[in-house]
Amino acid sequence: MNSKRRKLLQALGGTGIIAAAQPWTSAPAFAQNAPLRIGILAPRAGIAGTIGECGLKGTQFAVDHINSTGGIAGRKVELVIEEETNPKDTIERLRKLVLQDKVDCVQGIVSSGVSLAMGPVAEDMKALVVSWDGTTQDGVKETMPNKRYFFSSTDNECEAVMASLLAIKHWKGQFKTVAGINPDYSYGRNNFAAFQALLRKYGIEHTVVADQWPKVGTTDLNSHVAALKAAKPDLVFSSLLFADLPIFMRTAHGAGLMDGGTKFVFPAAGFQHTALKKSFTPPGMIFGHNTLYFDYAKGSELQKQFVQWYHEKTNDYPNWEADRAFFAMAVYKAGVEAAHKAKGGWPGKEDVIGAMEGVRVQSLGGPGMMRKDHIAEQTFYQGITTHDNKYDFPTLGTVDVMYADQLQKGTGQDFWKWIETANIKL
Amino acid sequence: MRIAAALVALAAVAVLPNVLSPYHVTLVLPALAYSIALLGFNLLFGYTGLLSFGHALFVAIGGYGAAVLSSKLGLRSFEAILALSAGASVAVAIPIGLLAVRYVKIFFGILTLAFGMLFHSFLFKFYDLTGGDTGIRVLRPSLLGRAYEDLDKTTWLVGPFYYYCVALLAILAFVMWRLVHSPFGLHLVATRENRRKAEYLGVRVRFFRLIAFSISAFYGAIGGAILAVNTGQADPELAYWTHSGELVFMTVLGGFGNFFGPVVGAFSFIFLKDQLVGLTQYWRFWLGAILILLVVLFPRGLSGLTERMWARLHRSTPS
Amino acid sequence: MTAFLDVVIGGVFHAAVLFLVAAGLQLVFGVQKIVNLACGSFYALGAYFGISAVSWCLARGMPPAYFLPVLIVAGILVGLIGPFIEALLLTVYQRDEAFQLLLTFALVLMFQDVLRFFWGADPQQLGDLVMTYGRVKVGALQVPTYNLLVIAASVVIAAGLGAFLQKTRFGRILRATAENREMSLALGVNVRWVYASVFTLGTMLGTVGGALVVPTAAASLDMPVELVVEAFAVVVIGGLGSMRGALAGALVVGLLRAAAISWYSELEMLAIYLVVIGVLVLRPGGLFGRPLE
Repeated sequence: MNSKRRKLLQALGGTGIIAAAQPWTSAPAFAQNAPLRIGILAPRAGIAGTIGECGLKGTQFAVDHINSTGGIAGRKVELVIEEETNPKDTIERLRKLVLQDKVDCVQGIVSSGVSLAMGPVAEDMKALVVSWDGTTQDGVKETMPNKRYFFSSTDNECEAVMASLLAIKHWKGQFKTVAGINPDYSYGRNNFAAFQALLRKYGIEHTVVADQWPKVGTTDLNSHVAALKAAKPDLVFSSLLFADLPIFMRTAHGAGLMDGGTKFVFPAAGFQHTALKKSFTPPGMIFGHNTLYFDYAKGSELQKQFVQWYHEKTNDYPNWEADRAFFAMAVYKAGVEAAHKAKGGWPGKEDVIGAMEGVRVQSLGGPGMMRKDHIAEQTFYQGITTHDNKYDFPTLGTVDVMYADQLQKGTGQDFWKWIETANIKL
Repeated sequence: MRIAAALVALAAVAVLPNVLSPYHVTLVLPALAYSIALLGFNLLFGYTGLLSFGHALFVAIGGYGAAVLSSKLGLRSFEAILALSAGASVAVAIPIGLLAVRYVKIFFGILTLAFGMLFHSFLFKFYDLTGGDTGIRVLRPSLLGRAYEDLDKTTWLVGPFYYYCVALLAILAFVMWRLVHSPFGLHLVATRENRRKAEYLGVRVRFFRLIAFSISAFYGAIGGAILAVNTGQADPELAYWTHSGELVFMTVLGGFGNFFGPVVGAFSFIFLKDQLVGLTQYWRFWLGAILILLVVLFPRGLSGLTERMWARLHRSTPS
Repeated sequence: MTAFLDVVIGGVFHAAVLFLVAAGLQLVFGVQKIVNLACGSFYALGAYFGISAVSWCLARGMPPAYFLPVLIVAGILVGLIGPFIEALLLTVYQRDEAFQLLLTFALVLMFQDVLRFFWGADPQQLGDLVMTYGRVKVGALQVPTYNLLVIAASVVIAAGLGAFLQKTRFGRILRATAENREMSLALGVNVRWVYASVFTLGTMLGTVGGALVVPTAAASLDMPVELVVEAFAVVVIGGLGSMRGALAGALVVGLLRAAAISWYSELEMLAIYLVVIGVLVLRPGGLFGRPLE
């Protein structure tokens, strides 16, 4: 009756008309001066909102540069920005970007959970996706070893491996009991697993006296800190990286967890570095800044320019997400331009993919490359913190620099076997 | 008359892949899934008068059922997946129902909310078993034995899978129609209207409510399985209480007093949300505002609106 | 021993904040029979507004030691949106409970974006302000003084509410209206005014709770949705409509959560839901409530 007719009108009239109104162009290759459309999927709200915004700044910086120097192989870049939320809705956004907005490339994705779901969908749709920070790992296992269209960031464990190595290098023999407080999702689980694997590799005898898994977004960590205190660990490993990290730091400091000479390892502290004020963050901790350490004395001109630009815009200092975003854009640009040169005309998707494999670029944080198996390699920065600086938060007193080939498993390797057999220099 | 219109609409939906772009067709799939889930929900809400704030529990069971069966146990037949997931859902619904149907109104709502969140908590926390916040992958099932391996996922989704789901909706809607117009259905309405009186007349109120609850679970799981296949992943958010809230929203939007209300609601909501998300960052605000308007001004939903318009039309024209 | 005390104090702190929100819920339900899903939104609103108020005052040279009273005042001030929300709820008073739930659910949705609009998407924190009052050290036991102050404030408010309901005239009017609305009307009580005041009071309890918790935690957009489940657990365990129930329920939930985190952290929320279900099955009225159908 009327209700069904209404539904009919709705279905046809609404969606149908809108669909019909779309231009029927399929972006033919000859439209050289038409802009290159790049879709961006980044979190804009919630716990990862700041991270998404920082990444977007990195993209904006990259695009400003690109467009002011002639674009990518002569074509200007146009961004279509969508919000990354949960896997189901983000996949719908991806479908919209690819099927409706018909973008040439999609970049973004911060959450490992989202990228895990997204990988197969991108492959199915033959959509060229360059991920900022999500990998396609399930635990430490690569779920998509033969990616064709999806390009991953560095493995989740990289920062954990490096932080563990630094902990062993600096504090070997000084800790017997270990505790973990990590966010309850794949990233947290990966990190803590990697840490334990490395301790085993170097024969460091240890006992795990507590492991806490606060849900991402928990704002009350009093009970977790109390449980950690009760366990009296010599070393605490924590890959907390969202707003819960400053909360943990404050709570732990207030409860006296930092007074007993306990060592602290924070592989992902760089995300929140400016929120970790000196008043509740003592020096002498291992902090990981991943692929961008903003205060690196030996940083490139490009990085220094970016940090200044970022500070002027936001009155804050950037974290590594900006570098990930820049890297993704740089890799895509390098691929398109190399393929364009090789072909002598506008390259197709397969040409670009081929050119992206093995390409080397200079990112904000230093040199990097895209491996042939579509996993990135970048430069990592971690170190021990100091209060000796002009800011109200600690920075790195000593900076250790390691390249990803030291920190992540090779093509097709199993993580545990790689840990056992790899010759990693301490 | 109603049935004729329903058949016309069904035909229209079946034809959509030829009219709409692939992206919009992939939007219709969740609408189909939710239509099925809500037909079950409305049996409980509209006909039996029980508001559950935990219906997402059954949707999640369907989703995770599809995920576990396809990627962990290697079962690829969609028919088997649907049967087993729906069966599991009913198996879970019975003990919960036995507890819940003793209460009405707010307690029923809170109890169902608690069970939904219990499942969500379990899915989230037991990382090794359930994949935690990432969830479990859902592999493409075979439909009626055919695997369609030569098709890529999107083509398969807007092709064979789409028609399969439309047929599923038609069949399940027909079954629900018969159910609702049977003595069983009338008994349910009687218990909603006046429980004491119904009991007095010999209606076993709790037993009937339990059956309604279980049937709603059955439908919910099937909807969930379709959703999960569409996304390719089953994640814990499927069971979160706000997802249950959305289900209620959709039903009220469409009109819970009308048999087709839930279906109208599912399609309208998906369409509405898609438009809003594209228009503004603050789409939740507008969605909430629309819900308030609905509750205050149009409690009988869209189908109630059209019924009134139709009635007015009929009054003004000589019949 | 200190470990045990640490856990207990952590649990009691959590309970103190939960109590405030739950008390607000109970008050509104007891008198108006409305279950307010948006209680978490008020909590978040109090948290965000508290941060803004304190930052504003600090920027104008207020000595940090006064931030606690500022928070409380901020919480009370922003609770004044109560009457406006209540006016909206007026439209569904006489209708089926389902509509009330739906209306408050709609408010949850709207509030999320209102918070986002005014305060942005990033979680907000008050830096190190919580340490302004120092720490209390008893042997190896170390607790920020602020946490103890919040617990004390909660106890004071609980006692105050109890006295208010039992001893004052308005309190008696409230209880009378809760028991029998028609009779109260017949006796000349301005029920409209009672409803508006009660709702506002309930709202304020929530906003003050949020404001008080924010120095030790953060204000985030997830708060409204996460807190609702815990708050509901509290009122169910304690008994819908009972203030003593709010206190008992809050303690049960707070301590249970702290215990679960210490012993088997996977069980954290699971344990609470199981208790909720257990209570609903064995003693549907909760520990202190009247059993209902």
